[in-house]
Order: sequence, then C-alpha cells, then structure tokens
Amino acid sequence: MSDTSNELISWNLNGEVVQNESGMTIMEAAKAHGIEIPCFCYHPGLSIAGNCRICMVESNRSPKPIISCSERIAEGLEIQTDSEKAVDARDSVMEFQLINHPLDCPVCDKAGECVLQDHSYEHGPDRSRFVEDKNIRHTKELGPTIDIWGNRCIVCTRCVRFCDEISGTSELCVVERGDRSVVDVFPGIPIDNAMAGNTVDICPVGALISTDFKYEARVWNMDRTTSVCGGCSRGCNVEVEALDGFVKRLMPRENLDVNDWWMCDHGRYGWRHLYADSRQVTAQTTEGSVLPAEASKALQQTLESSSSTGFLVDPFMTCEELHLVKQLADSMTGSRVAGWLPADGTEESFPGGFTISAAKYPNRKGVEEIFGADVFGSAASTLLNDITSGSVDTVVAFVGGHGFDGAGAEWNAALSSAKNRVVFTTQQGAWSEGAHLVLPATAPLEKEGVWINEDNRAQRVRSCRSLTDQNFPSELVILQEVQAHMELRSRSLSAAGVFRELSESSSAFEGHSHSSLGDHGTPLSQKPAAVGSEGGES
Amino acid sequence: MTETLAFSSEAMKKYEWLLTRYPTRQAALLPTLRIAESEFGELGVPQMRYVADLMEIPPALVFGVVTFYTHYRRAGVGTYHLQVCSTLSCALRGAGDVVQRITERLGIGTGETSECGLFTLSKVECLGSCDTAPVIQCNDDYHEGLSLEDVDALIQQLRDEAGKGSA
Amino acid sequence: MSFRKIFTQHIHEEKCHSLSFYQKNGGYEQARKSLHDWQPDDLIETVKAANLRGRGGAGFPTGVKWGFVPKNTDKPKYLAVNADESEPGTFKDRLIMEKNPHLLLEGIIISCKAVGIHHAYIYIRGEFVFAANRLQNAIDRAYSEGILGENCLGSDFTLDVTLHRGAGAYICGEETGMLSSLEGDRGQPKLKPPFPAVEGLFGCPTVVNNVETLANLPYILEIGAEAYGKIGPEKSPGPKLFCVSGHVEKPGVFELPMGISLRTLIDEHAGGVWKGRKLKAVIPGGSSAHVLRADECDVDMDIESLAAAGTMLGSAGVIVMDETTCMVDALLNIMRFYHHESCGQCTPCREGTGWLEKIAHRIAIGEGRMEDMDLVTEVCDRMVGKTICALADAAAFPAESIVNKFREDFVAAIENGGSPAWIKRHPASTGGAATHV
Repeated sequence: MSDTSNELISWNLNGEVVQNESGMTIMEAAKAHGIEIPCFCYHPGLSIAGNCRICMVESNRSPKPIISCSERIAEGLEIQTDSEKAVDARDSVMEFQLINHPLDCPVCDKAGECVLQDHSYEHGPDRSRFVEDKNIRHTKELGPTIDIWGNRCIVCTRCVRFCDEISGTSELCVVERGDRSVVDVFPGIPIDNAMAGNTVDICPVGALISTDFKYEARVWNMDRTTSVCGGCSRGCNVEVEALDGFVKRLMPRENLDVNDWWMCDHGRYGWRHLYADSRQVTAQTTEGSVLPAEASKALQQTLESSSSTGFLVDPFMTCEELHLVKQLADSMTGSRVAGWLPADGTEESFPGGFTISAAKYPNRKGVEEIFGADVFGSAASTLLNDITSGSVDTVVAFVGGHGFDGAGAEWNAALSSAKNRVVFTTQQGAWSEGAHLVLPATAPLEKEGVWINEDNRAQRVRSCRSLTDQNFPSELVILQEVQAHMELRSRSLSAAGVFRELSESSSAFEGHSHSSLGDHGTPLSQKPAAVGSEGGES
Repeated sequence: MTETLAFSSEAMKKYEWLLTRYPTRQAALLPTLRIAESEFGELGVPQMRYVADLMEIPPALVFGVVTFYTHYRRAGVGTYHLQVCSTLSCALRGAGDVVQRITERLGIGTGETSECGLFTLSKVECLGSCDTAPVIQCNDDYHEGLSLEDVDALIQQLRDEAGKGSA
Repeated sequence: MSFRKIFTQHIHEEKCHSLSFYQKNGGYEQARKSLHDWQPDDLIETVKAANLRGRGGAGFPTGVKWGFVPKNTDKPKYLAVNADESEPGTFKDRLIMEKNPHLLLEGIIISCKAVGIHHAYIYIRGEFVFAANRLQNAIDRAYSEGILGENCLGSDFTLDVTLHRGAGAYICGEETGMLSSLEGDRGQPKLKPPFPAVEGLFGCPTVVNNVETLANLPYILEIGAEAYGKIGPEKSPGPKLFCVSGHVEKPGVFELPMGISLRTLIDEHAGGVWKGRKLKAVIPGGSSAHVLRADECDVDMDIESLAAAGTMLGSAGVIVMDETTCMVDALLNIMRFYHHESCGQCTPCREGTGWLEKIAHRIAIGEGRMEDMDLVTEVCDRMVGKTICALADAAAFPAESIVNKFREDFVAAIENGGSPAWIKRHPASTGGAATHV
C-alpha cells in the first residue's frame, strides 16, 4: 500500500490534472478519483504480482502500455485509462483470458460474483475467434474444504500469495509452466489451515471452489445481511447469505480495523448449529409446550413468584439483551446477576496480522461494561454457591452460543440442581431438561444488537432471522414483554430503541447509536459527533 | 516401501558447502536438488519432501520449482533418458527421422519408457548444439551429428553398458 | 589492422582449456593490471568508449549498464553471468566455456573490479554438463592458484565465483528470470522497474552480462578502446562469434569482425547452402528474430544494419533454410518452442504462445483457413509490448514475419490439405508435391 509520505504529487489522469499522495500506485490513485481500473491479480491485502496485465494503461513515459497496479504516480506523469492504446491493451488481455477459459458459467458456483464475468461484460469481446481445442488442466481436491477446477484457473496467484503472506502456511504453489501451469498442493499435503476459506473468496474466477458451498445456491438468489461473526472476540465483519430460509454461506466483509478482508474457517463454516436437530425451537414447561404468545406471561409469573432470583448471562448476548436483563434484575429486590464463559479455545495468530481469539464468544466486554468487571469472577462464584446451597430460589439462565455443551460442566451441574430453573437455550441438553421453563434462545447470528469485541470496538450484529425459518420471539421481545407485564415499560422497542435507552443511561455507551455504529463499528471510547435529534421531531 | 531417505555424509558436506555460497538458504535449492537427484537417482515425491524438510522450506515451493524445469530427473524415467533435440536446426537436419528410428528400434513413442525400463524417449527443445545436428542428450551426455546408423550404434552401446544383449 | 581472433584462436589444440595453456599465452595479464593498476571508474569509461554492446541478444552497451549500478550502497553487489544459452540456433558461449573457460574468468575479474563486485554467479544451463565440469575445474584451478578468492592475483581484491547450474528452462536466459532461478525459485521474470542494476539478485545491485560479452574485456584492455572500436562498424564494434546451422555445408561457430555480410558468412564461411540447393529463408539472430527471405540477405551482420532491415542481430544464431523447407512446418516448430518455454506468468504470453502453436499446427495438418494468416498477425500484435518480459515478443516476431513473408507456403498448405510433409504421411486426401522436410 502507499507510503506514509504526505507529499502531494501532481499528475495527469485522462487529461485532467489531479493530486494524490506520493507513493500511491496509479491504480490506487485513479480509484481515489472514481476511476476503477480492472484487475485480476491485484489485491490490496497481498503483494503485487503484475501478471494478469488487465490493468494496463497508456503512459507518456513509456512507448508500451504499463501496468497501473505496480507503477507509482510521479510528478508530470500523464496516464490515459481509455485511450485507444489503453483500450487495445485491455481488450487484448481479455481476449487471451477467454480463449482457453471453459464456458462453465451455467455450472460454476462463481457465476454472479465472478471477476472474469464482470470484466468480460465490461471489456470483453462478444464472440470468440479461437477455434482450437481448449487446454485441459486438473480438477481435484486441494484440501478438505477446497476443490480446484483447474481449467478455470487464470494463474493470478492470489491464492498462492495468500498462503505465503497471510496464513503463512504455504500449502499452495503453481506447478508446470506456460499454459500448463495451474495451482496445486504438494502431493499428500493438502491446504488445511484455519484461514483457507479466504482463498475461495479472493479467487477471481471459479477455479477455487468451497466444498461447503458447492452447488448450494446461485448467488443472485440469496438474501444477505450485513453482520458480525459471533465465533470469537475478534468480531470479524461478515455477510450472512441465505436461500429460502436457510443460511448457505458466510463471507467476510472488509474492515481494516478488525479483520482486513478475512475471516477464519471456524467462523465461516460455523453456522450449521443453527439447524442442528437438537436446536430448541419451542417453549416448554414440565407439563408441555407453551405457545409463543404465552411465553412471556409464563416467565413473568415465574419471576413474580420467586423469592430470590439469580440471572446467569452469557457472553453471546447483545448489549441490548443485557441491558434488559439489568433492568429486570434492578427492579427485583434480592436478585443478582452473574455471567458464565465458555472455556478458552486456542488463540491463533498469522503472519499477515490476522488473529483468531482464544475467547470463543463475541461480547464479554459488553457484559462487563453493563454488569461490572467482576461479573464473571466473584459474582459468578457467589451465584454458583447460592444456587447449589439453595439460597437462590429461581435461576434465569441464558445458555446461548454455538456449542452443544451448555454452560460447561460446572454450571450445567449447578443449573440441574437449582430449585427452579428458567433456561433460554439454543440447543437442548441436560442443563435445560426438566427445567421449569425452557425458552428458545437466538443463536449469535440471529441476534439484532451490539457486541463489543476484544479491542473495545462496538459493532452491530444484524439478525439473519428474517432470512431463516426461526420465528419464535427473540429474547429482545420476550424480555420487554415481561417488563411490560411487570409495568416496567409501556411499550416494546426495537433493538435500536433499546440501545438508545442504554446509551442514555450509561456513560460508557453515551453518544453511540445503531446508526452511528454503521456497518463497520466504532471504538466504544470514541464518541461520535452529535447527529440529529430524537425521533419524531423535525 | 519407502525407506528413510538421507544424504550420505559426502552429499551432506556438499550441501553444507553450498549453503556458504549464497546469502539465503533458498538460493541453494536448485543445486541441492541436483545433489538429491544424484544421491537418490530421481526426484519423486519422497525425494522432494526430503529436500524441503532438509532445507526447511515449504514442500509446495519445492514442488513448484521441480515441475517448472524440464531437466530434473523425475520419477519413472528409464535408466537411459534419450532426449532428442527437436527445435528448428535439428528438425531441419533430420531430428524427426532420429525419433522415428528410436521408436522403430525400441517400440516406444515420445514420453514413453521401454518395458525393460532401460530407455525413455523424449523430444526436447534446443540443446545448444545446432552445428552438430541432429543431437541426442542421453542423461548427461551429448551425442552429436547422428546418422541413423549412429542411433542404432548408440542404442546397442547403451544396452551393452547395461549388461543386456541386443533385442 | 588485420583481424585477430581472441576467442577461438586455440580451440583445436588439445589443452587449450587448461590454466597453464592460458597463462602461457598471456592469459590473466589484463586482469592482473585491472586489479593493480586501474581505477574502477576508468575501467567503466574504457568499456563505454569501446562501445562494447551486450552479446546475449539485447545489445545493450555494457559500460552504460555498469554505470547504472549505484556507487554508494551498503548492499553487496553481484555479477550474474548469463551462461544459459538456450536461444535456438546459438551455441557460441558453450564454445568459450568448453575451450576457453579462463577467458571468461578473466573477463569476470575485470568486470567485478570495474563495478566493485565481490561475488559472481555463473548461471549455466542445466543441459551443458560437460561445459559445467570444464568451468568448475577452471574455477577450482583459479582458486588454488590465487587467481580467485582472497587477494586475487596478489591484489587486495576479493572475488568469489560460484557456478550455478540451471535445470532446463529457456526463460532463465531472460535476465530477471535468471535471477529468480538463482534465488531458488521458478525462473519467472520479475517486474521492471526496479531494474537489476539497482535491485537485482537478493534485492541487491546486480550486473547481468553474457559470457561472450565478458570474454571481450581482456582484449579491450589490451588494445585500448579506440583500436577496439575500429573493428567492424562504429556503433557495434568488436570481434563476434557467429553461429551458423541448418541447411549449410559447414555449420559451426565463426569468429569474425562485427559487420560481416550475411551472404559472405553463409556462402564463404559456412560452405553455402547444402546439397547444391537454393536459399529460401534465413533467421539471422536466433529464433526470436524476424525471418529474412533469400532476397533480403544482402545485409551486414551488426546490430544497426539488421535493425534497419527489420530484424535483429540478437544472439547471432543464423539458421539457414533451403528451398525444400515448408515455412508452415518451420513456423510450427518455432511456435512449439515458445509455447513450451513460456513461464506462464502473464496472460498474453501464456495464452498467446499456445494459440499460435495451435493455429500453426492446424494449418500444417490441413485444417487451415485463409483468414488464419491475418489471425496470426493479429494475435502477435496483441502479444507484443504487453508482457512482463520479451518472450511474447520473441514468439511474435518470427510468427508475423514468417506468415507475411512466406504467404505462398501457407496458401499452399491451406489449399492442398496440409504441409507437404503432412500430405506425404497422409496421402489419402490430396496428391500434393511430396517434398520432405
């Protein structure tokens, strides 16, 4: 990327004198002026290869066209991106890219998000004059999650560079020479690192295919939600894509402050728990089902008949859900709140700077911000004792997340021994079996609200529930209905509304709003400038 | 089936000397592959893996390097690799006839190995001996200015060398 | 001044490659002087003044190239000797390495002194096993006699020379392809800028020189730049090794002054077209050069004259084709070479070289169309000037010149159902004149 030098360079872009910071490449600088020069091999997160040649432009400093991805702007440089010479260069490369490329679009997963299709449409010839036999290259498994359809490979080397520079695992290489060259792995050493799925994202054609997503959906038929992964405290920005009510795929979104362009495979492929057979989808008491419309009433009655209540929150809950629990707890004398944490997993850090947190949950910071720093420490040990000793009458436990082992052995045992239990749970298990009231919990991806990642960045998770078949009222709705029954509030609010309440009552959250957090989040400590007025008034 | 591969102490000394000639370890890769080729007789998957582990560089990198070049002795090549130069100057002076003669005498086509495992026939590009066309490189040795009779004689000579009589 | 041979004067003598022979005939004297008596800048200026042009194919002025290396740098500087000789029709560097290896080493010493280099790598193509052994022996002898290593020839200059064998790739003759291969990677050319003189081998300033270029240096120091500059034409002077192969009576390497006429070279030195046949086509500078028709061969063999004639001196690999040659087959042969040798990095070359071979093949086997001739020209046009290195140009130049200068051969193949050799092997469709290539 560009130097840190601040010196401005004057140069000429398509006849217009423009200025950009010294050190920028022609492509980057042109983009800053709204001119998108096409590319295949260039990627802002990887080293420059300069092999696809599609980004060639005309330069006054060279009789031949030059590539704009690697050459930098200079004082007095004149660049034409659409002159006859530049267009001829681009058209030439397009024609060469297409002569051996198989007409696989009707059966290729990449269709609809394929850079070659896009550039072909913009810049390519509308017919081929190649009447020869096309090249044949291998189709094979490169690893447990990645296949390669070698006929489609344009040898841009993005995937190879990714494995060398970002994951640092170097499983991929180009083999052979000339038009026989193709991406491959060393025989017996498949690509199998925790960031492997990113190679499929960055492949500009349908050569690298995700076995998880293969043949699952046409990308233009999917609905998508801009959200955040709940797999760990990194909080990678993602896009959740679903077809006809089923999540099909997670894709990373660019956020240079959180995850660059990447996400890990644990998060990427970690959505199947949404559809596990053990998913809790109905409300239950020991006597049988509870209708969705009666769930909040059932909970309210349980709470009002409890002499002392303990709330056990989890680090998957949004700040909004946590705020509602706090409001409930504060209104009930003798109640207390503690939190449980899943056991730490493995932290993984990669040479390119990407890290996977050992903390396999998204919102520990949110819980601590709302309930205090000891919520997982002394408050938790106290509540645990109180439950096992029986001095807490009713426990309301939130056992959410993406795992299948409840709140961990210790808490599961404590919950099973509680006098009265209300359990919000994503999966059925011993911790909820026989409980006084079991309610379905939203899985992390199904939540609407705010999580705070390990860098104290507040980000919005946007529910994918509208994309899926999960339709039991969420905790956000249920808890507000309970509060309404207990006359703690007069009307239920959206998640944005609850967050507004939170920001008005807490100095840590003061000044923030869903809209100010936007799609990329904000550090919690960075107060946004005041925008607009309260809703309703003009 | 696979015994543990290892460089002899002599080969290891050569390898260590090589490392002193380059500022990076990876720069010694091509010559180290030559040592391995000589030690192990061929560069197949286990041999490439050995070199990668010895040099502490990714096996995929070694694989990409070995498959890029044409002159390393890959797995499955016969005892005598008959590489017939087929680029223009040799083609103009009968390289095609040389290939045909070898096919007739040995019953193998381009890219094939004789059943006895003695001979592999390949067409290669310019060997840099155009004034003595046509030329065959057999393993390391150039055989230049070949008439068809010379080709027959070469095959016989190689057979004798390998201790087998003529077919 | 009559022409004196400096490369090949002793090549028929039995021990011409040995150190003692070389020293007995005045070898290493100029290297000794360069180390003890010359200033580096004066060496560079002398080579510039002599107008020594690179002998690898590009013909870049050697002294000027040396001058590009930054003087003030903390990084080590390297000399990478290009002994990859893989241009079809070229076999001159091999002769020097096998018969006169110490001449190369002496040239290396002089160039390293001039530029301040203390480590030279000789990149020799993998197939040249005999030459590599000869060269390694020469290097070992030079080390043991104090000619290389610390205190070269009794001076305070240290020079290490390492012989590095390639493994079969024409593209490693391209300067940055060679550097990639030296660094232990696939021999893929690098993006330029930066240029090797500034950022080359291992990211350090590197001079890349051809074997024959370096072999000129002792002679330049011996007779001086002015006298050297008078050998042959002013703009590309000096003694030159010309390679002649193909349909001639006496193929071989001929040491002659730059500027000799192509006709003289073929007819007088190489014995003329063989078997009493007529000349049809000549490639003057290795297969990457535009081909010449027989009536275009009244041209002098030097850089400027051949450039003016629409071709190039290149590696001075002259390939002669007689009247029986089908130029469709010649095209197919050459295109197969470039298709095989393309490294595959960049799109126009990777795809274009394959396309050109496939078109040539289709015409040769009788499935050509009239529009294929223009198609070849257009494909070539789309390749030239758009790639990381010049291999695409090197494929395009012979293709477009052959197709356009020998249209009659292509028309015949298209109309008759293939090249004559193809028809001979497959007589079923037509009975064309059966001539053998």
